[in-house]
Amino acid sequence: MEYDEKGVSIVPLDFKKEIFKEARKDFRYDEYVLGCLNCGVCTGGCPPHRFFDFSPRIVLQNLKTKDPELIWTMMDEYIWACFQCFTCAMICPFLNNPGGAIAILREIAVRRGFESARKVLKPYSRVLLKLTAYGNQLSPDMIQPDFFPDWGPDISYASADLKVKRKAIPMPTLQITNLSWDVSPEAMKELYEIFDESGVFKIIEAVDPSLYEIIMDIVEDVRSS
Amino acid sequence: MEIRNRLNLANVGSDYIHAAGRKLENMHDHLLELESKGEVKVMHINSENRAKDALTLFGWKKLIPTNKIWHHKSCGQCGNIPGYPVSLLWLMNQFGLEYIDERNQTSCTAWNYHGSATSNPVGLASVAARNWHRAYELGYFPVNHCATTFGDYKEMRNLLVENKELRDEVKRIMHKIGRDLVIPEYIIHYSEWVHVMRFEIAKIKKYDLGHVTVTVHPACHTYKMIPEDCIYDKDIYAGKRTAVSTGVALALGAKVADYSTWYDCCGFGFRHILTERETSRSFVMDRKIKPMVREANSDVCLTQDTGCTTTLDKNQWIGKAMGYTEQVPVMADVMFAALVCGADPYKIVQLQWHTTDWRPLCEKIGIDWKKSEEGYNAYLEELKAGGKPQNLYEYK
Ligand code: SF4
Ligand code: SF4
Ligand code: SF4
Repeated sequence: MEYDEKGVSIVPLDFKKEIFKEARKDFRYDEYVLGCLNCGVCTGGCPPHRFFDFSPRIVLQNLKTKDPELIWTMMDEYIWACFQCFTCAMICPFLNNPGGAIAILREIAVRRGFESARKVLKPYSRVLLKLTAYGNQLSPDMIQPDFFPDWGPDISYASADLKVKRKAIPMPTLQITNLSWDVSPEAMKELYEIFDESGVFKIIEAVDPSLYEIIMDIVEDVRSS
Repeated sequence: MEIRNRLNLANVGSDYIHAAGRKLENMHDHLLELESKGEVKVMHINSENRAKDALTLFGWKKLIPTNKIWHHKSCGQCGNIPGYPVSLLWLMNQFGLEYIDERNQTSCTAWNYHGSATSNPVGLASVAARNWHRAYELGYFPVNHCATTFGDYKEMRNLLVENKELRDEVKRIMHKIGRDLVIPEYIIHYSEWVHVMRFEIAKIKKYDLGHVTVTVHPACHTYKMIPEDCIYDKDIYAGKRTAVSTGVALALGAKVADYSTWYDCCGFGFRHILTERETSRSFVMDRKIKPMVREANSDVCLTQDTGCTTTLDKNQWIGKAMGYTEQVPVMADVMFAALVCGADPYKIVQLQWHTTDWRPLCEKIGIDWKKSEEGYNAYLEELKAGGKPQNLYEYK
């Protein structure tokens, strides 16, 4: 996001209008954004509201103004505070889905490779790599004490002698350390096809080009196996 | 309606179930309409699935298959809480039920979507359809282990029913990978299987739980995402809260205590648990563990999802550094059920991977965890020496 020395956004209004138009064009938009009573019920139940300057009521109110300037102010870090728990959607008396509307805005931020999205997602790249390249989001060998020192001394149990401990899990699919379960290459190949056809690979290229390169190397290997 | 809730306990009856003031479309009916028009193929529950009835938020009937299950595993569970799926399969074995657990399954990719937004409805719905079709071609009914898969697949089912363009696009992609769009009649969470099987499970329990107090942490993606498709029971929390997990704990004879932050999320946040961990930690201790211990004097916190189990279990240790003295062991409803039915705490329930101490709970129930630990360590030695693993089923 670009600002002048007084902190005023220097992004052209036309661009902000385009972003809002893109959000409204999404087929889910009219289902997620109905009327808003400004009642604050959603914010009352919203978990991150307790920790951040973030409120689903504001999200809905801003969207209802249809003011591209106001909507633009949320495209930075604001939308990334959401936990995606959908408490708001369950309790909104107007049946809005603020969490869903946030997902639409996030998709735009990522698709367009906004700097704010890149920054927020940088520490997420390990997960993205596993999921996109192997069809599994997390693996047993990712639980290392160096990464999770705050999980206490017992966490080292999960990395010592991992191979044999995984072999002792009585499900043959789980007896592997670098994936949660041993995803078959045929399943991976189908997933790549889906990522190609639905634009998921393109999204990753926009938000993290170097990660995209690494993923593509693995994809090529699996595809030619 | 009479609500006898003075004891703050969960087994409270009412004549009504909670309808939250909403009246939404019944997607099941719409799906069948589309099928009759030849617009979509539907994967139906059949007699071999030995389905049991349950009621959802508005009193609509939902059929829960108990047999011929295709396990849609969860990456977080298999990677980090292996006792979660193992306990479920172990229970199914106790009843001689048929299931398939196989390599030809992908993650739902929805955890990633909710954390990073690096997907879109076409991508998510195609992944769902891919896994549905795999179950369909084998003639088994998919049961989702992760609450996020459950929430996501419910949402994708709704979007697919409501939007022809999305359907056409997903059909195109399915044809490209040699598959077809076949939507399951019901989207099922494993906790629903546990719920409808709870009285059967209670018949094989090995321990008395009259002195054990349970608190339940319900998962947002079970009952807040597409809330109308979640099980309610007028005899559990007077039908005002989802009945899954609480139902099985009550059937097993435990006391289920209420606490003021029951509705709160666990603090996982999808992205936050990995990249803004202080938020998750604070949330865990302040909004969940402290109230569970102080208000309910809970012996164990029962969960029904991957992220919640991890977040609530792993973040209690660091709480001590901030002066929190409250601690409570965390495990999924199905792990607790298996434990109480005599499953080995190490080999089956795999509690050794958990970081918050669960041994006092075992002792309170009367389970000899030390003996189990010895047996497990000996088993590891056998495996190291080239022994063959003892599995719950044979992989074909
Ligand atoms: S989905 Fe997001 S906005 Fe809605 S309650 Fe949860 S965290 Fe708040
Ligand atoms: S989105 Fe719903 S709950 Fe939130 S302020 Fe508006 S009407 Fe109220
Ligand atoms: S991890 Fe947290 S946000 Fe996700 S389903 Fe569980 S309680 Fe809800």
